[in-house]
Amino acid sequence: MSAKIAIVGGGPSGCYTAQALLKRAPDLEVDIIDALPVPYGLVRYGVAADHQGTKGVARQFARIFTRQNAQFFGNLRIGRDVTLEALRRAYDVVVLAAGLPGDRPLGIPGDDLPGVIGSGALTRALYEHPDAEALPELGEAPLVIGTGNVAVDILRLLAKTPEELSGSDLGAGPSDWLAAQKIRQITVVGRSSAAAARFSPVMIKELAELSRVDLRLAAGGSDAGEVLAAAVAGSAGPLPIDFRFESRPVALEPLGDGLQLTVETPRGRETIAASSVISAIGFTGDGSFDRDGLLAEAGGAARLYAAGWFRTGPVGAIPQCREEGQRLAQQILDEVQPDPARIGRALFAGRAGITDFDHWQHLDALELAGATDQRCRRKISRRDDMLRPANLQDA
Amino acid sequence: MNIAIFFGTETGNAEMLAEDIATELEDQHETTVANLADSAPEALQVADLNVIVCSSYDDGDLPASAKPFVERVQSEMPDLTGVRFAIFGLGDSEYAETYGFGSMKLAELLVSRGAQALGERPVHDAAGDELPEDMAMPWLLEIIEAADA
Ligand SMILES: Cc1cc2nc3c(=O)[nH]c(=O)nc-3n(C[C@H](O)[C@H](O)[C@H](O)COP(=O)(O)OP(=O)(O)OC[C@H]3O[C@@H](n4cnc5c(N)ncnc54)[C@H](O)[C@@H]3O)c2cc1C
Ligand SMILES: Cc1cc2nc3c(=O)[nH]c(=O)nc-3n(C[C@H](O)[C@H](O)[C@H](O)COP(=O)(O)O)c2cc1C
Repeated sequence: MSAKIAIVGGGPSGCYTAQALLKRAPDLEVDIIDALPVPYGLVRYGVAADHQGTKGVARQFARIFTRQNAQFFGNLRIGRDVTLEALRRAYDVVVLAAGLPGDRPLGIPGDDLPGVIGSGALTRALYEHPDAEALPELGEAPLVIGTGNVAVDILRLLAKTPEELSGSDLGAGPSDWLAAQKIRQITVVGRSSAAAARFSPVMIKELAELSRVDLRLAAGGSDAGEVLAAAVAGSAGPLPIDFRFESRPVALEPLGDGLQLTVETPRGRETIAASSVISAIGFTGDGSFDRDGLLAEAGGAARLYAAGWFRTGPVGAIPQCREEGQRLAQQILDEVQPDPARIGRALFAGRAGITDFDHWQHLDALELAGATDQRCRRKISRRDDMLRPANLQDA
Repeated sequence: MNIAIFFGTETGNAEMLAEDIATELEDQHETTVANLADSAPEALQVADLNVIVCSSYDDGDLPASAKPFVERVQSEMPDLTGVRFAIFGLGDSEYAETYGFGSMKLAELLVSRGAQALGERPVHDAAGDELPEDMAMPWLLEIIEAADA
């Protein structure tokens, strides 16, 4: 069957959906479109720089383009460069796999004060996303709100010594920034009890094994599981990381050069002073799509489907993207009704600035060639350089 | 000799390797590839050379797609005497204490039911530079040669 399928978003859910579609129906025309000049979404810009093994899925994803004949259309933002309506007219099926790039706001007074940064914004800056903001000064006592794996990723990176970052792909700029931070203590605040916290136990174990870390239970935590209790008992480095469970944030206010967070606890209200606040409580859309409307419309009749975080919300990791992609592929194949009159990728003909998969392979090789003893890759971070890497080579 | 290749995976790396192995062998041998999630213990046949590719998760646990198979072996207690298998692990040396434990646990279970493990159990390191197929093919060709002889 040679139906034409456009997948908006080249992250794990878009890639696994394409992989499963082409495995079942190799003659499909599958096009993966991404706003960034490079593929793989959060595998490149979310999965931590020191978790290279997890990024190994990129090898599978590359084969979607090199062997399964999917095509990559990078640097093309649907809704800005091409409308979703035009895309839907051109393709038999459109899959929305655009993720959830926005940080979910804390939703408390003061959540937009200077010194408050979202975990998505911070990780994008750390991992050199081309649209990232500048890295902020965190001061001596940053406070992290949220106890999921993204929060633990951030704690781990902030706590690592330069030696412990060896083998990662953390860039020179972020590495220098990290070395220049003067963090003396980190507080982590979570609404749930310790037992209900969302982090995975292995992530806590890994954190506690770092040389500088001293995990402490500063509030709540009487129900801490075996792993957390062992991590607290077994870590004794010079950098205290205080977990405060059962602490629901209610307000942020300026305090001196920093901020003060008020939390509601079973013991009543408490205040915590902080030099900066990192909110890591999940993700949301960035407003570029009417997500609710599109999700309500999605289905075979609309020739529109949704996948990954765009569909499920910011829950689930890479394995769930794979399972869901396989299910979705089967559903699409059951429902698609190809119409040869649809123009497919000809919609983009003559449009300047689109990057293809060869372009990514060229960038990838350049980045790998920039590896050092300490770093497995040197990411190209500026969009201009990504689009015109020849300029880099000349420099 | 039919070569029955099984994989236990979460993010698909083991499936990709299982398919690569099948592609490499298909000129010389009959091959089948199956997800352990879709396989019953009886799928391990005495007449075949069974090849298993299996990753590791959370503190040395089995990957999700291997779990239903393992649970069936544990509850049905099949007699696997005469079954020969070669197992290749996928892991990550960053998880030093439980490196390659998923494949190890699966191998131990099959051996405990009477199956015979052929060759070593190599583990590919996701944090390393080597490609899994470059490790797996020489390992497997040696096992196949010995089994054919
Ligand atoms: C900081 C962080 C760390 C994580 N670490 C891990 C981990 O270690 N292990 C793990 O299993 N999971 C991890 N996850 C979860 C995992 O990243 C997600 O499950 C997965 O990325 C969701 O995939 P997705 O394809 O839905 O979204 P994404 O990966 O976000 O991909 C969406 C893609 O769509 C593109 N896009 C967005 N809007 C448009 C548009 N308008 N037009 C065209 N393209 C567009 C984006 O550029 C992006 O490439 C992490 C998540 C975060 C945020
Ligand atoms: C959360 C998590 C836990 C892991 N735990 C282990 C482990 O305990 N031991 C190990 O050797 N590898 C471990 N790994 C590494 C995986 O086994 C490795 O990345 C493998 O290539 C995944 O293969 P798959 O895609 O077939 O599942 C872990 C990976 C993740 C993401």
